[in-house]
Amino acid sequence: MTPQTTLLRTPLLEAHQKLGAKIVPFAGWEMPLDYGSILSESKAVRKVAGLFDVGHMARFRLRGPQVAEELDHALGGRVTDQPVGMARYTMLLNELGGIVDDLITYRTGEDEFFMVVNASNRHRDAEVLRERITHSSFVDETEDGGGILALQGPLALSLLQALTGDADLAPDFLGLAFPSSPWGPLFVARTGYTGEHGYEIFVNAEQAIPVWNQLLKLGASPVGLGARDVLRLEAALPLYGHEIHEEITPFDANLRFAVRGWKTREFVGSDALQKLANTEVPSKELIGLTAEKRVPREGYPVLCNGVEVGLVCSGVWSATLEKPIATAYLQMGVEGTLTVSARGKEFPVERVGLPFVPHRSRN
Amino acid sequence: MRPEDRFYMDSHEWAKLDGNTATIGVTDFAIEQLGELVFLDLPEVGATISKGEAFGEVESVKAVSDLIAPVSGEIVAVNTDLPDALEPLQEDPHEAGWLIKVTLSNQGELDSLKKVEAYEELVAATR
Repeated sequence: MTPQTTLLRTPLLEAHQKLGAKIVPFAGWEMPLDYGSILSESKAVRKVAGLFDVGHMARFRLRGPQVAEELDHALGGRVTDQPVGMARYTMLLNELGGIVDDLITYRTGEDEFFMVVNASNRHRDAEVLRERITHSSFVDETEDGGGILALQGPLALSLLQALTGDADLAPDFLGLAFPSSPWGPLFVARTGYTGEHGYEIFVNAEQAIPVWNQLLKLGASPVGLGARDVLRLEAALPLYGHEIHEEITPFDANLRFAVRGWKTREFVGSDALQKLANTEVPSKELIGLTAEKRVPREGYPVLCNGVEVGLVCSGVWSATLEKPIATAYLQMGVEGTLTVSARGKEFPVERVGLPFVPHRSRN
Repeated sequence: MRPEDRFYMDSHEWAKLDGNTATIGVTDFAIEQLGELVFLDLPEVGATISKGEAFGEVESVKAVSDLIAPVSGEIVAVNTDLPDALEPLQEDPHEAGWLIKVTLSNQGELDSLKKVEAYEELVAATR
Protein backbone atom coordinates (compact mmCIF):
# COMPACT_ATOMS: atom_id res chain seq x y z
CA MET A 1 0.00 0.00 0.00
CA THR A 2 1.26 3.45 -0.85
CA PRO A 3 1.54 5.78 2.14
CA GLN A 4 -1.22 8.34 2.24
CA THR A 5 -0.55 11.76 3.66
CA THR A 6 -4.03 13.18 3.13
CA LEU A 7 -7.30 11.38 3.67
CA LEU A 8 -9.64 10.74 0.76
CA ARG A 9 -13.19 12.12 0.82
CA THR A 10 -16.38 10.70 -0.59
CA PRO A 11 -18.75 13.16 -2.32
CA LEU A 12 -20.91 13.00 0.84
CA LEU A 13 -18.45 14.21 3.49
CA GLU A 14 -20.06 17.65 3.71
CA ALA A 15 -23.51 16.10 4.09
CA HIS A 16 -22.24 14.03 7.05
CA GLN A 17 -20.72 17.10 8.68
CA LYS A 18 -24.02 18.97 8.34
CA LEU A 19 -25.77 16.07 10.08
CA GLY A 20 -23.32 16.33 12.99
CA ALA A 21 -21.57 13.04 12.30
CA LYS A 22 -18.46 12.01 14.20
CA ILE A 23 -15.92 11.78 11.38
CA VAL A 24 -13.00 9.37 11.73
CA PRO A 25 -10.13 8.21 9.51
CA PHE A 26 -10.99 4.79 8.08
CA ALA A 27 -8.87 2.86 5.56
CA GLY A 28 -7.47 6.14 4.23
CA TRP A 29 -10.83 7.92 4.05
CA GLU A 30 -12.70 10.45 6.18
CA MET A 31 -15.86 8.57 7.10
CA PRO A 32 -18.81 8.99 9.49
CA LEU A 33 -18.52 6.71 12.55
CA ASP A 34 -21.94 7.66 13.87
CA TYR A 35 -24.52 10.43 13.84
CA GLY A 36 -24.98 10.32 17.62
CA SER A 37 -26.11 6.80 18.45
CA ILE A 38 -24.76 3.52 17.11
CA LEU A 39 -27.66 1.66 18.78
CA SER A 40 -30.47 3.80 17.34
CA GLU A 41 -28.89 3.72 13.91
CA SER A 42 -28.64 -0.09 14.04
CA LYS A 43 -32.28 -0.36 15.10
CA ALA A 44 -33.44 1.97 12.32
CA VAL A 45 -31.97 -0.43 9.75
CA ARG A 46 -33.71 -3.46 11.27
CA LYS A 47 -37.06 -1.70 11.68
CA VAL A 48 -37.35 0.91 8.92
CA ALA A 49 -34.48 1.78 6.55
CA GLY A 50 -30.96 3.08 6.95
CA LEU A 51 -28.75 4.96 4.53
CA PHE A 52 -24.97 4.42 4.57
CA ASP A 53 -22.14 6.14 2.73
CA VAL A 54 -19.89 3.27 1.64
CA GLY A 55 -18.04 5.26 -0.98
CA HIS A 56 -14.73 4.26 0.59
CA MET A 57 -15.08 0.78 -0.88
CA ALA A 58 -12.84 0.26 -3.90
CA ARG A 59 -14.39 -0.05 -7.36
CA PHE A 60 -12.70 -1.80 -10.28
CA ARG A 61 -13.91 -2.33 -13.84
CA LEU A 62 -12.60 -5.10 -16.08
CA ARG A 63 -13.33 -5.48 -19.78
CA GLY A 64 -12.37 -7.74 -22.66
CA PRO A 65 -13.52 -10.72 -24.68
CA GLN A 66 -11.72 -13.14 -22.32
CA VAL A 67 -12.56 -11.35 -19.06
CA ALA A 68 -14.88 -14.04 -17.67
CA GLU A 69 -12.36 -16.85 -18.29
CA GLU A 70 -9.55 -14.78 -16.81
CA LEU A 71 -11.58 -13.93 -13.71
CA ASP A 72 -12.60 -17.56 -13.32
CA HIS A 73 -8.94 -18.37 -12.81
CA ALA A 74 -8.06 -15.24 -10.81
CA LEU A 75 -10.92 -15.53 -8.28
CA GLY A 76 -12.10 -18.36 -6.04
CA GLY A 77 -15.66 -18.24 -7.34
CA ARG A 78 -16.97 -19.14 -10.77
CA VAL A 79 -17.99 -16.14 -12.87
CA THR A 80 -18.26 -17.65 -16.37
CA ASP A 81 -21.80 -18.81 -15.52
CA GLN A 82 -22.69 -15.52 -13.78
CA PRO A 83 -25.59 -14.00 -15.74
CA VAL A 84 -25.31 -10.46 -17.09
CA GLY A 85 -27.24 -8.22 -14.69
CA MET A 86 -26.41 -10.23 -11.56
CA ALA A 87 -24.00 -9.79 -8.63
CA ARG A 88 -22.06 -12.58 -6.95
CA TYR A 89 -20.06 -12.81 -3.69
CA THR A 90 -16.65 -14.40 -4.04
CA MET A 91 -13.07 -14.00 -2.99
CA LEU A 92 -9.50 -13.53 -4.09
CA LEU A 93 -7.24 -16.32 -2.79
CA ASN A 94 -3.48 -16.76 -2.58
CA GLU A 95 -1.68 -19.89 -3.82
CA LEU A 96 -2.11 -21.51 -0.39
CA GLY A 97 -5.89 -21.05 -0.43
CA GLY A 98 -5.71 -18.14 2.05
CA ILE A 99 -8.16 -15.27 1.62
CA VAL A 100 -6.56 -12.14 0.12
CA ASP A 101 -9.96 -10.41 0.13
CA ASP A 102 -13.66 -11.00 -0.23
CA LEU A 103 -15.51 -9.08 -2.93
CA ILE A 104 -18.57 -8.78 -5.11
CA THR A 105 -18.50 -9.10 -8.90
CA TYR A 106 -21.27 -7.36 -10.85
CA ARG A 107 -21.63 -8.62 -14.40
CA THR A 108 -22.51 -5.48 -16.32
CA GLY A 109 -22.02 -7.02 -19.79
CA GLU A 110 -20.98 -10.19 -21.58
CA ASP A 111 -17.43 -8.79 -21.63
CA GLU A 112 -17.56 -6.48 -18.62
CA PHE A 113 -17.40 -6.93 -14.85
CA PHE A 114 -17.61 -4.28 -12.16
CA MET A 115 -16.06 -5.26 -8.83
CA VAL A 116 -16.26 -3.88 -5.29
CA VAL A 117 -13.52 -4.78 -2.80
CA ASN A 118 -12.54 -3.71 0.71
CA ALA A 119 -11.11 -0.19 0.98
CA SER A 120 -8.24 -1.44 3.15
CA ASN A 121 -7.21 -3.97 0.47
CA ARG A 122 -7.62 -1.76 -2.58
CA HIS A 123 -3.98 -1.49 -3.62
CA ARG A 124 -3.07 -5.07 -2.74
CA ASP A 125 -6.09 -6.42 -4.67
CA ALA A 126 -5.31 -4.23 -7.67
CA GLU A 127 -1.71 -5.48 -7.69
CA VAL A 128 -2.79 -9.14 -7.49
CA LEU A 129 -5.51 -8.74 -10.13
CA ARG A 130 -3.19 -6.90 -12.52
CA GLU A 131 -0.78 -9.84 -12.29
CA ARG A 132 -3.53 -12.38 -12.96
CA ILE A 133 -5.57 -10.47 -15.54
CA THR A 134 -3.34 -9.92 -18.54
CA HIS A 135 -5.67 -10.02 -21.55
CA SER A 136 -8.43 -7.72 -20.28
CA SER A 137 -8.42 -4.08 -19.28
CA PHE A 138 -8.38 -3.25 -15.58
CA VAL A 139 -9.39 0.22 -14.34
CA ASP A 140 -9.49 1.36 -10.71
CA GLU A 141 -12.48 3.75 -10.61
CA THR A 142 -12.39 4.35 -6.86
CA GLU A 143 -11.29 7.98 -7.11
CA ASP A 144 -13.47 9.05 -10.05
CA GLY A 145 -15.49 11.33 -7.75
CA GLY A 146 -18.51 9.03 -7.59
CA GLY A 147 -19.85 7.23 -4.58
CA ILE A 148 -21.81 4.30 -3.17
CA LEU A 149 -24.93 4.64 -1.01
CA ALA A 150 -26.29 1.58 0.77
CA LEU A 151 -30.03 1.63 1.43
CA GLN A 152 -30.89 -1.21 3.82
CA GLY A 153 -33.94 -2.28 5.79
CA PRO A 154 -37.52 -3.53 5.46
CA LEU A 155 -38.62 -0.28 3.78
CA ALA A 156 -35.66 -0.12 1.36
CA LEU A 157 -37.68 -1.24 -1.66
CA SER A 158 -40.48 1.28 -1.18
CA LEU A 159 -37.94 4.07 -0.70
CA LEU A 160 -36.10 3.00 -3.85
CA GLN A 161 -39.39 3.02 -5.77
CA ALA A 162 -40.24 6.47 -4.40
CA LEU A 163 -36.74 7.73 -5.28
CA THR A 164 -36.99 6.60 -8.90
CA GLY A 165 -40.73 7.13 -9.30
CA ASP A 166 -40.95 3.57 -10.58
CA ALA A 167 -43.51 1.60 -8.53
CA ASP A 168 -42.73 -1.60 -10.48
CA LEU A 169 -39.01 -1.53 -9.80
CA ALA A 170 -38.19 -4.72 -7.83
CA PRO A 171 -34.76 -6.22 -8.52
CA ASP A 172 -34.23 -9.87 -7.58
CA PHE A 173 -31.83 -10.77 -4.76
CA LEU A 174 -28.33 -9.98 -6.15
CA GLY A 175 -29.94 -8.46 -9.25
CA LEU A 176 -28.82 -5.23 -10.94
CA ALA A 177 -31.06 -2.43 -12.22
CA PHE A 178 -30.49 0.82 -14.08
CA PRO A 179 -33.56 2.90 -13.23
CA SER A 180 -33.95 6.48 -14.38
CA SER A 181 -34.23 9.21 -11.76
CA PRO A 182 -34.56 13.02 -11.67
CA TRP A 183 -30.73 13.04 -11.48
CA GLY A 184 -30.16 10.75 -14.44
CA PRO A 185 -29.87 6.96 -14.63
CA LEU A 186 -28.71 5.16 -11.47
CA PHE A 187 -26.82 1.89 -11.10
CA VAL A 188 -28.54 -0.16 -8.37
CA ALA A 189 -27.66 -3.62 -7.05
CA ARG A 190 -29.65 -5.65 -4.54
CA THR A 191 -26.65 -6.27 -2.31
CA GLY A 192 -25.64 -5.15 1.16
CA TYR A 193 -23.82 -5.88 4.39
CA THR A 194 -26.58 -5.92 7.01
CA GLY A 195 -28.59 -9.12 6.41
CA GLU A 196 -31.62 -6.95 5.56
CA HIS A 197 -33.41 -6.49 2.26
CA GLY A 198 -31.36 -3.73 0.70
CA TYR A 199 -29.67 -2.01 -2.20
CA GLU A 200 -26.36 -0.44 -3.04
CA ILE A 201 -26.70 2.58 -5.29
CA PHE A 202 -23.70 3.63 -7.36
CA VAL A 203 -23.79 7.34 -8.09
CA ASN A 204 -21.63 9.83 -9.96
CA ALA A 205 -20.27 13.01 -8.35
CA GLU A 206 -23.35 15.07 -9.29
CA GLN A 207 -25.91 12.49 -8.13
CA ALA A 208 -24.41 11.72 -4.71
CA ILE A 209 -25.74 14.63 -2.64
CA PRO A 210 -29.25 14.93 -4.18
CA VAL A 211 -29.87 11.15 -4.01
CA TRP A 212 -28.62 11.06 -0.39
CA ASN A 213 -30.81 14.02 0.62
CA GLN A 214 -33.88 12.67 -1.16
CA LEU A 215 -33.61 9.27 0.55
CA LEU A 216 -33.31 10.97 3.96
CA LYS A 217 -36.33 13.12 3.10
CA LEU A 218 -38.27 9.96 2.21
CA GLY A 219 -37.59 8.53 5.68
CA ALA A 220 -34.26 6.71 5.67
CA SER A 221 -32.00 7.30 8.71
CA PRO A 222 -28.32 8.10 8.20
CA VAL A 223 -26.18 5.24 9.54
CA GLY A 224 -22.45 5.33 10.23
CA LEU A 225 -19.67 2.77 10.16
CA GLY A 226 -20.16 1.94 13.86
CA ALA A 227 -23.66 0.61 13.28
CA ARG A 228 -22.55 -0.99 10.03
CA ASP A 229 -20.15 -3.17 12.03
CA VAL A 230 -22.89 -4.08 14.52
CA LEU A 231 -25.30 -5.04 11.73
CA ARG A 232 -22.82 -7.09 9.72
CA LEU A 233 -21.73 -9.00 12.83
CA GLU A 234 -25.34 -9.69 13.87
CA ALA A 235 -25.76 -11.19 10.38
CA ALA A 236 -22.38 -12.99 10.78
CA LEU A 237 -21.09 -11.48 7.53
CA PRO A 238 -17.28 -11.74 7.57
CA LEU A 239 -14.98 -8.72 7.74
CA TYR A 240 -11.49 -8.80 6.29
CA GLY A 241 -8.88 -8.57 9.05
CA HIS A 242 -11.24 -10.22 11.53
CA GLU A 243 -13.00 -13.44 10.45
CA ILE A 244 -10.99 -13.64 7.23
CA HIS A 245 -7.40 -12.89 6.22
CA GLU A 246 -4.54 -14.52 4.33
CA GLU A 247 -4.01 -17.24 6.97
CA ILE A 248 -7.68 -18.27 6.81
CA THR A 249 -9.16 -20.45 4.04
CA PRO A 250 -12.79 -20.32 2.83
CA PHE A 251 -13.25 -23.69 4.61
CA ASP A 252 -12.15 -22.25 7.98
CA ALA A 253 -14.57 -19.35 7.61
CA ASN A 254 -17.62 -21.41 6.50
CA LEU A 255 -17.49 -19.72 3.10
CA ARG A 256 -17.41 -22.74 0.77
CA PHE A 257 -20.28 -21.21 -1.19
CA ALA A 258 -17.95 -18.39 -2.26
CA VAL A 259 -15.60 -20.89 -3.98
CA ARG A 260 -18.23 -23.14 -5.54
CA GLY A 261 -16.78 -25.86 -7.73
CA TRP A 262 -13.46 -25.92 -5.85
CA LYS A 263 -13.27 -29.72 -6.14
CA THR A 264 -13.05 -29.74 -9.92
CA ARG A 265 -12.22 -26.21 -11.11
CA GLU A 266 -8.76 -24.73 -11.58
CA PHE A 267 -8.09 -21.31 -10.08
CA VAL A 268 -5.41 -19.67 -7.97
CA GLY A 269 -5.62 -21.55 -4.67
CA SER A 270 -7.67 -24.52 -5.92
CA ASP A 271 -4.76 -27.00 -5.64
CA ALA A 272 -4.22 -25.98 -2.04
CA LEU A 273 -7.94 -26.25 -1.22
CA GLN A 274 -8.19 -29.72 -2.79
CA LYS A 275 -5.10 -30.86 -0.89
CA LEU A 276 -6.45 -29.45 2.38
CA ALA A 277 -9.78 -31.21 1.91
CA ASN A 278 -8.07 -34.53 1.20
CA THR A 279 -5.37 -34.56 3.82
CA GLU A 280 -6.03 -32.22 6.69
CA VAL A 281 -8.42 -32.53 9.56
CA PRO A 282 -9.80 -29.03 10.22
CA SER A 283 -8.09 -27.63 13.32
CA LYS A 284 -10.46 -24.76 14.10
CA GLU A 285 -14.00 -23.59 13.51
CA LEU A 286 -15.71 -20.21 13.42
CA ILE A 287 -18.31 -19.97 16.19
CA GLY A 288 -20.71 -17.45 17.68
CA LEU A 289 -20.59 -16.29 21.30
CA THR A 290 -22.98 -14.28 23.42
CA ALA A 291 -22.35 -12.80 26.86
CA GLU A 292 -24.37 -11.13 29.60
CA LYS A 293 -22.87 -7.66 29.95
CA ARG A 294 -19.30 -7.37 28.81
CA VAL A 295 -18.42 -7.44 25.12
CA PRO A 296 -15.94 -10.18 24.10
CA ARG A 297 -13.73 -7.97 21.98
CA GLU A 298 -11.27 -8.67 19.16
CA GLY A 299 -8.15 -10.45 20.41
CA TYR A 300 -9.57 -11.59 23.75
CA PRO A 301 -8.67 -15.26 24.44
CA VAL A 302 -11.47 -17.85 24.75
CA LEU A 303 -10.89 -20.29 27.61
CA CYS A 304 -12.26 -23.70 28.58
CA ASN A 305 -11.42 -24.77 32.15
CA GLY A 306 -8.77 -22.09 32.26
CA VAL A 307 -7.00 -23.29 29.10
CA GLU A 308 -6.89 -21.06 26.02
CA VAL A 309 -8.86 -22.73 23.22
CA GLY A 310 -9.63 -19.84 20.88
CA LEU A 311 -9.51 -16.17 20.03
CA VAL A 312 -12.25 -13.59 19.48
CA CYS A 313 -12.37 -12.17 15.90
CA SER A 314 -15.03 -9.46 16.34
CA GLY A 315 -17.28 -8.40 19.19
CA VAL A 316 -19.98 -5.76 19.52
CA TRP A 317 -22.98 -4.87 21.61
CA SER A 318 -25.91 -6.15 19.54
CA ALA A 319 -28.59 -3.48 19.27
CA THR A 320 -31.10 -6.07 18.04
CA LEU A 321 -30.49 -8.74 20.71
CA GLU A 322 -29.58 -6.17 23.38
CA LYS A 323 -26.57 -8.17 24.53
CA PRO A 324 -22.95 -8.67 23.54
CA ILE A 325 -22.19 -10.90 20.54
CA ALA A 326 -18.87 -12.08 19.12
CA THR A 327 -17.29 -14.41 16.61
CA ALA A 328 -14.27 -16.52 17.52
CA TYR A 329 -12.09 -19.22 16.07
CA LEU A 330 -12.24 -22.20 18.43
CA GLN A 331 -10.11 -25.37 18.37
CA MET A 332 -12.11 -28.29 16.98
CA GLY A 333 -13.69 -30.63 19.50
CA VAL A 334 -13.74 -28.32 22.50
CA GLU A 335 -16.62 -29.15 24.84
CA GLY A 336 -17.51 -27.55 28.13
CA THR A 337 -18.22 -24.15 29.55
CA LEU A 338 -16.43 -21.32 27.80
CA THR A 339 -15.19 -18.05 29.24
CA VAL A 340 -13.52 -15.04 27.71
CA SER A 341 -10.63 -13.23 29.34
CA ALA A 342 -11.00 -9.45 29.16
CA ARG A 343 -7.71 -7.89 30.17
CA GLY A 344 -7.10 -10.54 32.81
CA LYS A 345 -10.69 -10.85 34.06
CA GLU A 346 -12.70 -13.89 33.00
CA PHE A 347 -16.40 -13.78 32.29
CA PRO A 348 -18.77 -16.51 31.02
CA VAL A 349 -19.86 -16.72 27.38
CA GLU A 350 -22.31 -19.00 25.63
CA ARG A 351 -21.67 -20.71 22.33
CA VAL A 352 -24.47 -20.07 19.81
CA GLY A 353 -25.17 -20.74 16.14
CA LEU A 354 -24.54 -18.20 13.38
CA PRO A 355 -25.95 -15.82 12.26
CA PHE A 356 -27.07 -14.12 15.48
CA VAL A 357 -29.92 -12.38 13.63
CA PRO A 358 -31.59 -14.26 10.75
CA HIS A 359 -31.01 -12.92 7.24
CA ARG A 360 -33.93 -11.20 5.52
CA SER A 361 -31.98 -10.12 2.46
CA ARG A 362 -33.86 -12.55 0.19
CA ASN A 363 -37.31 -11.62 1.53
CA MET B 1 -17.92 25.48 32.15
CA ARG B 2 -17.69 22.34 34.26
CA PRO B 3 -18.03 22.40 38.08
CA GLU B 4 -15.38 24.54 39.82
CA ASP B 5 -15.61 22.67 43.12
CA ARG B 6 -13.36 19.77 42.16
CA PHE B 7 -10.10 18.55 40.66
CA TYR B 8 -9.65 16.85 37.28
CA MET B 9 -7.36 14.20 35.81
CA ASP B 10 -5.95 14.24 32.27
CA SER B 11 -7.62 10.83 31.89
CA HIS B 12 -11.00 12.53 32.58
CA GLU B 13 -11.80 11.49 36.15
CA TRP B 14 -12.78 14.09 38.75
CA ALA B 15 -12.38 14.26 42.57
CA LYS B 16 -14.50 16.48 44.80
CA LEU B 17 -13.18 17.11 48.31
CA ASP B 18 -15.34 17.23 51.46
CA GLY B 19 -13.15 17.31 54.57
CA ASN B 20 -10.78 14.38 54.13
CA THR B 21 -13.17 12.44 51.87
CA ALA B 22 -13.15 12.69 48.08
CA THR B 23 -16.04 11.74 45.81
CA ILE B 24 -14.72 10.37 42.51
CA GLY B 25 -16.34 10.21 39.11
CA VAL B 26 -15.69 10.69 35.40
CA THR B 27 -16.40 13.80 33.34
CA ASP B 28 -19.10 14.40 30.77
CA PHE B 29 -16.35 14.63 28.16
CA ALA B 30 -15.25 11.05 28.97
CA ILE B 31 -18.84 9.88 28.64
CA GLU B 32 -19.28 11.76 25.37
CA GLN B 33 -16.15 10.11 23.97
CA LEU B 34 -17.23 6.65 25.14
CA GLY B 35 -20.76 6.91 23.78
CA GLU B 36 -23.49 4.52 24.89
CA LEU B 37 -22.43 2.69 28.08
CA VAL B 38 -23.01 -1.03 28.56
CA PHE B 39 -20.94 -2.10 31.58
CA LEU B 40 -19.36 -0.70 34.74
CA ASP B 41 -17.07 -2.51 37.17
CA LEU B 42 -16.51 -0.83 40.56
CA PRO B 43 -14.47 -1.96 43.59
CA GLU B 44 -15.98 -2.63 47.03
CA VAL B 45 -16.09 -0.61 50.22
CA GLY B 46 -12.94 -1.20 52.26
CA ALA B 47 -10.67 -1.66 49.25
CA THR B 48 -7.82 0.79 48.77
CA ILE B 49 -6.98 2.62 45.58
CA SER B 50 -3.71 4.19 44.48
CA LYS B 51 -3.35 7.39 42.53
CA GLY B 52 -2.69 6.73 38.84
CA GLU B 53 -3.79 3.09 38.99
CA ALA B 54 -6.98 1.54 37.64
CA PHE B 55 -9.75 1.00 40.19
CA GLY B 56 -12.43 -0.17 37.78
CA GLU B 57 -13.57 -0.32 34.19
CA VAL B 58 -16.26 1.29 32.11
CA GLU B 59 -17.33 -0.18 28.79
CA SER B 60 -19.38 1.37 26.01
CA VAL B 61 -20.68 0.15 22.69
CA LYS B 62 -17.41 1.44 21.24
CA ALA B 63 -14.65 0.65 23.74
CA VAL B 64 -13.43 -0.42 27.19
CA SER B 65 -11.69 2.14 29.39
CA ASP B 66 -9.93 1.91 32.75
CA LEU B 67 -11.08 4.16 35.58
CA ILE B 68 -7.91 5.79 36.94
CA ALA B 69 -7.68 6.82 40.59
CA PRO B 70 -7.06 10.57 40.96
CA VAL B 71 -6.03 10.07 44.62
CA SER B 72 -4.96 7.27 46.98
CA GLY B 73 -7.04 6.07 49.89
CA GLU B 74 -9.61 3.69 51.32
CA ILE B 75 -13.04 3.35 49.75
CA VAL B 76 -15.82 4.31 52.19
CA ALA B 77 -18.79 4.34 49.79
CA VAL B 78 -19.68 2.95 46.37
CA ASN B 79 -22.54 4.02 44.10
CA THR B 80 -23.76 0.42 44.11
CA ASP B 81 -26.94 0.98 42.06
CA LEU B 82 -24.92 2.30 39.14
CA PRO B 83 -23.64 -0.94 37.53
CA ASP B 84 -27.23 -2.20 37.19
CA ALA B 85 -28.63 1.08 35.88
CA LEU B 86 -26.10 3.16 33.99
CA GLU B 87 -28.40 6.09 33.15
CA PRO B 88 -27.17 8.42 35.94
CA LEU B 89 -23.59 7.90 34.73
CA GLN B 90 -24.61 8.45 31.12
CA GLU B 91 -26.79 11.51 31.79
CA ASP B 92 -25.31 13.17 34.88
CA PRO B 93 -21.71 12.03 35.42
CA HIS B 94 -20.78 15.07 37.55
CA GLU B 95 -23.48 14.51 40.22
CA ALA B 96 -25.84 11.50 40.27
CA GLY B 97 -23.32 9.39 38.33
CA TRP B 98 -20.56 9.57 40.98
CA LEU B 99 -18.62 6.32 41.38
CA ILE B 100 -16.88 5.98 44.76
CA LYS B 101 -15.96 7.94 47.91
CA VAL B 102 -12.48 7.65 49.36
CA THR B 103 -10.77 8.70 52.59
CA LEU B 104 -7.59 10.37 51.41
CA SER B 105 -4.28 8.96 52.58
CA ASN B 106 -2.33 11.92 51.20
CA GLN B 107 -4.03 15.28 50.59
CA GLY B 108 -0.89 16.52 48.86
CA GLU B 109 -1.75 14.37 45.85
CA LEU B 110 -4.45 16.86 44.92
CA ASP B 111 -1.79 19.45 44.01
CA SER B 112 -0.90 17.67 40.80
CA LEU B 113 -4.52 17.54 39.56
CA LYS B 114 -6.02 20.11 37.20
CA LYS B 115 -8.31 22.96 38.23
CA VAL B 116 -11.36 23.42 36.03
CA GLU B 117 -9.80 26.10 33.79
CA ALA B 118 -6.86 23.85 32.90
CA TYR B 119 -9.19 20.91 32.32
CA GLU B 120 -11.39 22.98 30.01
CA GLU B 121 -8.26 23.83 27.99
CA LEU B 122 -7.35 20.14 27.78
CA VAL B 123 -10.82 19.25 26.50
CA ALA B 124 -10.76 22.08 23.96
CA ALA B 125 -7.36 20.88 22.70
CA THR B 126 -8.58 17.26 22.49
CA ARG B 127 -11.65 18.07 20.42
